[in-house]
Amino acid sequence: MLDELLSRRVLFVTGKGGTGKTTLSAALALLAARRGRRVLCIEVDAKGALPACLGSPPVPFEPRVVQPNISCLALHPEASLQEYLRLYFHVPRFTRMTPLAGVFDFVANSVPGIKDMLIVGKVAYEEKRMSSTPRSGARPQWDIIIVDSQASGHVLPQLNAARAMLGLVRGGIIRSQVEWIDACLADSRRTLLTICALPEEMPVAEALELHDRARAETRVTVGACFLNRTLRTALTPRQVRVLRQAAAPEHAEAAREHLGGELGPMVEGIQLAQRLAEASQAQARRLRAGLSCPVLEIPVQARARPGLATTRLIASALTAG
Amino acid sequence: MAAGVANASQRGSVHTPAVTPGSPNLAVELGARAAVVCCGSGGVGKTTVSAALAMGIVAEYDKRVMVLTIDPARRLAAALGLHAVGPDPISVPAARLRRAGLRPRGELVAAMLDQKSTWDRMVERHAPTRQAAERILANRFYQGISTAFNGSQEYAAMEALYELHSGGEYDCVVVDTPPSRSALDFLEAPDRVNDFVGGRLLSWLAGPSRLGWRAVNLAATPFLRMADRLLGADVLRELGEFVRDLQGLYDGVQQRSRRVKSLLRSADTAFAVVTTLEPLPFAEAEFFCQRLREEAMPLGAVVVNRLLPGDLLDGRAADAAGFLVEHPRAGAAWLSEAAGERVTADTSRRLGAAFLTLHQLAVRDDRQVARLTHFGSLPLARLPLADREVVDIEGLATLTAVLRGNSA
Repeated sequence: MLDELLSRRVLFVTGKGGTGKTTLSAALALLAARRGRRVLCIEVDAKGALPACLGSPPVPFEPRVVQPNISCLALHPEASLQEYLRLYFHVPRFTRMTPLAGVFDFVANSVPGIKDMLIVGKVAYEEKRMSSTPRSGARPQWDIIIVDSQASGHVLPQLNAARAMLGLVRGGIIRSQVEWIDACLADSRRTLLTICALPEEMPVAEALELHDRARAETRVTVGACFLNRTLRTALTPRQVRVLRQAAAPEHAEAAREHLGGELGPMVEGIQLAQRLAEASQAQARRLRAGLSCPVLEIPVQARARPGLATTRLIASALTAG
Repeated sequence: MAAGVANASQRGSVHTPAVTPGSPNLAVELGARAAVVCCGSGGVGKTTVSAALAMGIVAEYDKRVMVLTIDPARRLAAALGLHAVGPDPISVPAARLRRAGLRPRGELVAAMLDQKSTWDRMVERHAPTRQAAERILANRFYQGISTAFNGSQEYAAMEALYELHSGGEYDCVVVDTPPSRSALDFLEAPDRVNDFVGGRLLSWLAGPSRLGWRAVNLAATPFLRMADRLLGADVLRELGEFVRDLQGLYDGVQQRSRRVKSLLRSADTAFAVVTTLEPLPFAEAEFFCQRLREEAMPLGAVVVNRLLPGDLLDGRAADAAGFLVEHPRAGAAWLSEAAGERVTADTSRRLGAAFLTLHQLAVRDDRQVARLTHFGSLPLARLPLADREVVDIEGLATLTAVLRGNSA
């Protein structure tokens, strides 16, 4: 399944806020790079979290190498607007951006579709970008582009941005660009959407909704769902039962003498852990039942701080699963 | 057994909880105020805590309490009687609270934030004329701004808080805040909206009102020329009119912002910072507490959610678990006898290891919670991790009991 995903040209990674999509995007980048692919990671909300997961300080709008075979860029709003204008409208770079910086937020948010087009336009531009080396001749700059998208609510309009623009624009340079972008997104051999979820009520509900809406409203194919922070139980029901029986008050004195401690508090804690694991598995089943794509589970890494070490752990968990 | 006891210190049986037990009654502490703002990163359980806290306040005080939720889960909303977003607040019947084990002294009312109508009211309140208000509300760009603009939901929450507080209908308003990566978004919302509405940055987009678009020197503004080509002249003109109308709101919005900020600073208000022990939300919470302290804003309490149960800190259990791991055959022999069935050495090791893993997590968590005591003698509530989400009044009442200082 991973090979399927990593053989694509473009992967969008989305999910409800807090479901781990940034770490997951970084882990996928590591795995692709290990397979010898030249990877570009795009951080849509430019907060620096994605480069941090790859062990790098915040990155600019130009791709910067952060790990062997992995480059990363962030979609800083002013810079992406400038480039968009330059590429598609041949508007030269402005030297004084200050008034524009303030305006961008306003324009991008008030005129429907502009921000989305900038994002999708950039992704499509990088996908098409060619490089030329003496050894390999002309070939795509990147083998795979991984897009750490915004939280689920926002990604659908982005995936539809091209189609929405087609409705607004009659012809000319914009239309042909937009047609090309739309075709790229719709080709499941080139582009896939992946959804992140947690084994909890609301994240699962959102993942299911996002999956259904993506299928109904866009032409992008949902390739997989990553279920993060799953819990598995280390003990069988019988083992827990044995503990409960042995922890009965009548054995307390003997426990103190033979084991040097108390079993009572052990029981509560272990039973809670069991129930949590069961709840996690129930949510996983609910998720699988509602999706048409494979679900890859990633076990919980206890309170791991975001960073390269954690990303490597997640990458290992992905290959092990 | 000597061997078990000798290893006690390695397993932390000398560990004592870093924060003195004796849980505070947050409902009493915070309910004394007129406004309680529950802040924190997205996903930490703010909505649930807001609702449980409001229920606690109603149990402690003969007050009319409003809890304003932002984006509650469907079942939680239903538990409070909220079935649809709308301007009308819903009274939570005392009978329902009593069935859940509470004895309400006051009255609880719940509402969901209606972002759009809060913004609409703001426009109507500050627009210089009725026509200007209607132009803005009808403008298609306004739709995008009032819902998508970064900070618009936070601003609406603040507006709603101010409206409810100054409306005089409620003795205490408990406000949930929008989920965001940074808890600071809430504090910065008024300034952001000020800047945006202030329009100084946008004034060149508005163009001189007497002369209209065409008179503006387009040669000097390549952006406008491009935008003209891309979007069409009508769009730009509409945009310009919109910006000019917005500028008319500026004075009113600025004054309102000052009043809102003043409320947030006053002795009438308390901030309750909600967090879990996950690295990102916790770092946000620490940062937020620090910021509130620096700005002399009323930090009232901290609520740490989803904590491992206190049982797991128990050193004597850790001792027993350690024995089961280090002496699995002896452990198995004893377990077999006590349980009345055959237990293998492997089981002994697994049971011990399972507990020790949880124990080590609990010890580490406890130390992490202790970091929050750096903010002085701040009432701190610890809410336990549960295996099921809170989806009804009974579940909320369990949290309310903890927030009031009774053990769960």
